[in-house]
Amino acid sequence: MAMQMGEREGVVKVTEWQKTYYAGDSGIQSGATTVRSDDDGTEYSSKKYTFTTTVTENPADLESQYTMTRAQRVRAAMFPETMEGGTTILSTQLDSSQQTNVQKLAEPSQMLKTAIIHLINYQDDAELATRAVPELTKLLNDDDQVVVNKAAQIVNQLTKKEASRRALMQSPQMVAAVVRAMQNTGDMETARATASILHNLSHQREGLLSIFKSGGIPALVRMLSSPMESVLFYAITTLHNLLLHQEGAKMAVRLADGLQRMVPLLKKSNHKFLAITTDCLQLLSYGNQESKLIILANGGPEGLVQIMRNYNYEKLLWTTSRVLKVLSVCPSNKPAIVEAGGMQALGKHVTGSSQRLSQNCLWTLRNLSDAATKQDGLDGLLQVLIGLLSTDDVNMLACVTGILSNLTCNNARNKTYVTQNNGVEALIHALLRAGEKEDVAEPATCALRHLTSRHPEAELAQNAVRTHYGIPAIVKLLNKPYYWPVVKAVVGLIRNLALCPANQAPLRDADAIPKLVNLLINAHQDAQKHGSASQQTYQDGVRMEEIVEGCTGALHIMARDPMSRGVIADMNTIPLFVQLLYSPVDNIKRVAAGVLCELALDKQSAVVIDNEGACAPLMELLHSSNEGIATYAAAVLFRISEDKNADYKKRVSVELTHSLFKHDPAAWDMAHSNAMMDPGYAPEDLDPRFAMPAYGYDPMQQDLDMADDYPQGFDSMQRPYDAC
Amino acid sequence: MNREEAPGKSPEEMYIQQKVRVLLMLKKMGSNLTPNEEAFLRNYAGVVHSQMSQLPQHNIDQGAEDVVMAFSRSETEDRRQ
Repeated sequence: MAMQMGEREGVVKVTEWQKTYYAGDSGIQSGATTVRSDDDGTEYSSKKYTFTTTVTENPADLESQYTMTRAQRVRAAMFPETMEGGTTILSTQLDSSQQTNVQKLAEPSQMLKTAIIHLINYQDDAELATRAVPELTKLLNDDDQVVVNKAAQIVNQLTKKEASRRALMQSPQMVAAVVRAMQNTGDMETARATASILHNLSHQREGLLSIFKSGGIPALVRMLSSPMESVLFYAITTLHNLLLHQEGAKMAVRLADGLQRMVPLLKKSNHKFLAITTDCLQLLSYGNQESKLIILANGGPEGLVQIMRNYNYEKLLWTTSRVLKVLSVCPSNKPAIVEAGGMQALGKHVTGSSQRLSQNCLWTLRNLSDAATKQDGLDGLLQVLIGLLSTDDVNMLACVTGILSNLTCNNARNKTYVTQNNGVEALIHALLRAGEKEDVAEPATCALRHLTSRHPEAELAQNAVRTHYGIPAIVKLLNKPYYWPVVKAVVGLIRNLALCPANQAPLRDADAIPKLVNLLINAHQDAQKHGSASQQTYQDGVRMEEIVEGCTGALHIMARDPMSRGVIADMNTIPLFVQLLYSPVDNIKRVAAGVLCELALDKQSAVVIDNEGACAPLMELLHSSNEGIATYAAAVLFRISEDKNADYKKRVSVELTHSLFKHDPAAWDMAHSNAMMDPGYAPEDLDPRFAMPAYGYDPMQQDLDMADDYPQGFDSMQRPYDAC
Repeated sequence: MNREEAPGKSPEEMYIQQKVRVLLMLKKMGSNLTPNEEAFLRNYAGVVHSQMSQLPQHNIDQGAEDVVMAFSRSETEDRRQ
C-alpha cells in the first residue's frame, strides 16, 4: 500500500514536472528508458535505450543542478534496478538527436557489469567446487553405497556448471573415484550419475584427458553392456567424444574390446543412439584391418545392412554408409556385406535428396561390385543405375558405369536385364557426353563389351549400339593419345560388334580396320622389343600382349565379312599373323589361327599364307590341347591344301589323327593302328589326291611316319579344355 | 596287326571324318565355310550325322572372358560434416 502510494505520488510528480520544464518523457514512470531483460528472463541485459527528454531552459541556471544529479544519472545508467520507483532525475540531453555521454556509456557499462557479475559467480562456483573436491572424492570411495550414490549425485550437479566442472576435471583423484564408482557399483542410479559425470566432463579436452588417464575407457566400454538406456547413451556418447578428440583413445577402445561390445548395439532401435554407435565404428575401423575383421566376426555387416534397409534418419544412414564404405575395401567383409543384401539396401539411397548419402552409397556399391557378380535380385538396383547414367556429374557417372561394368561381368541375367531396359542406349549417351574422361570411358566401354556377348540378348545389344550411333564414338576412342585400359576395352567391344553382320559396314566406315592394324603392329613391336614372355611390358597396367590378342581377335571377327577380309589382307597383315602363330601365349595363337582361317577362304590369301611358311607352325598347333586352336589350324591347313598333293593331305590327316581323336581313345586306337599299318599305302581305290609323292617337311614330321613310334609331342593325357 | 582282321577306317575315310569334324567345329564357332566345304558336308551327310553327337557341347570361341574391374584398392576418407 505504501509502495503504491509512493508510486502514485511519483507519477503525479513526473506529470507536473513534465508540464513545467520538460516537454518530453524521461521514461522514469513510462518505462521508455528502462533496460529490457532478455527473453529468457536473464536479470542483466544490455539492450539499447535512449532518453527522450530535451532541455530547453537556460543552461547557466541548471549547471549547479546538473552537478548535484550527476551521480544519480550515472547510477541510473549503470544500475537501473537500484533506482527507487518514482525517482526523477534531471537529464542533460540538449538535443534529441545527440545522446549525452552518460547515455552513450549506458550500454557498455551494463555489459561490463554483467561480465563482472559472471566472473564473481564463476569464481564462487570454482572456489566452492575446489574446496569440496577432496571431501567428495572421499565420499565416492566410501564403502557405503548410499553415501557413494549421494556423492555421485552432488558431483553430477557440479559438473553441469562450467566453473565447478573445471575444478572437478582438474582433480585426477576425483575422476578416478568416479570411474571406480561407476564400474564397481551395482546400483543403477549410481551408475547413471557417474556415467553422466563422465559424459559432462567429456565436453572439454581437459576432461577427456582426465577420463583417459584415469582408465575411464575400459570402464565405459563395460557400461556398453548396461541394461539401462541412459547409461548406454552416456557411455557411447562419452566414448564417441574420446574417439573424436583424445589421442590414444582408439587404441584404448580396441584393447578394451570396444568393438565387440559396440557391434551388438546395432540392434538397438534409437536412431540417434545408432548414429553415434556407427560413427564410433567408423572411427575405429578406418585404416585398421584388424578392427574390420572384428566387426565382421561379430555380425557387423548384417547389422549395418539392416539399418540401411529399415531407417530413414539421414544422419544415421550417412554414418552407417561411411562404415560400410570403410568395410567395403576389406576382401573378407565384402562378400559378407553382399550376402547380407548390402547391394540392394545401398541401392535404395542413391537417388535421395542427401547428396553426401548418395555419394557414399555409390562409392560403396562400386567397391562391392566385383564381389556381387553372382548376386541375385539386383534388378531394382540395375534399373536405378541405368537411370543415373543420365547424370551430368562426371564423378557420379564414373561410379555408376563402374558398378554396371562389374555387375554385368559374367552374369547373363544382369546382361539381359540391362540390355532389355535401354542400358545400351544410356551407356552410349554417357560415352558421348563424357567419353574423354578415362574414368567414364573405361567402365562404360567394358559394360558395353559385356552386354554384347555371352547372353541371349547379345545380338540385341550389338544392334542397339549401331542404331544409337555408338560405333563412330567407340572407334574414336582408339585415337591417340592412348589410354591402354580404354583401348583394350574398345578392341574387345569392336570384336563383339563385328559379330553382327550389319555392323561391319559402319565399322569399316569408321576406319576401325586400319586403326586396329596399326595398334596391333605397334603393340607387337613393343612386346618384341622387351623379349620373352617373362619380361612382359605393361603400359597403364595393360600388357602389350593383351593389345595384340585383342586387336587380332577383333580382326578375326571382322574378317568374317568378305569386304572387311579384303581390306585386312590388302594391309599386308598375313606375315604378322603367321608370326603370331609362334607366340607363347595360347590366346594369341588362337586368334592368329582364327584370322588366318578366315583369310584363307580367299584363294589368293591362302597362297600368301602358304608362302609365308604357315604350314610348319600350323602343324604344331594341330597338337594343341586348346580345341579352338587345333580346329583353326586344321581348317587353315585344309584350305591351303585344297590344291595340294595326296601325300601332303595324308600328312595333315596323320597329324589330325593324333589331335582330334585324343578325346576318344577307342577311336584313336583304331585310327592309329590303321595309320601305322600303311606307312606308304596308296590303294587302287584311293582318291587320286592321295597318290602323289611325299611333300617335304622338317625332320620332326618324318618321325610321324615311322611304323612303331608314337608321334613326338603327343600328349596322351587329356588336359582340361582351355575355355576360350 | 593283321590288316584283314583289323576293323576300322581307311586313310580316306579318316580324312573325310577329320575334315567333317573340323568343318562342323568351325561352323559351331561361327566361322564361314567355302562353297566347296559346304558341298563337302552335304556329300558326307552320313558322316556329319555321326560326328554331330561327338562335338563338344560347350561354347568354344566366344572371345576373351569378362573381367571385373577392381575399385576397392584403397580407402578414401570423406570430409566429416
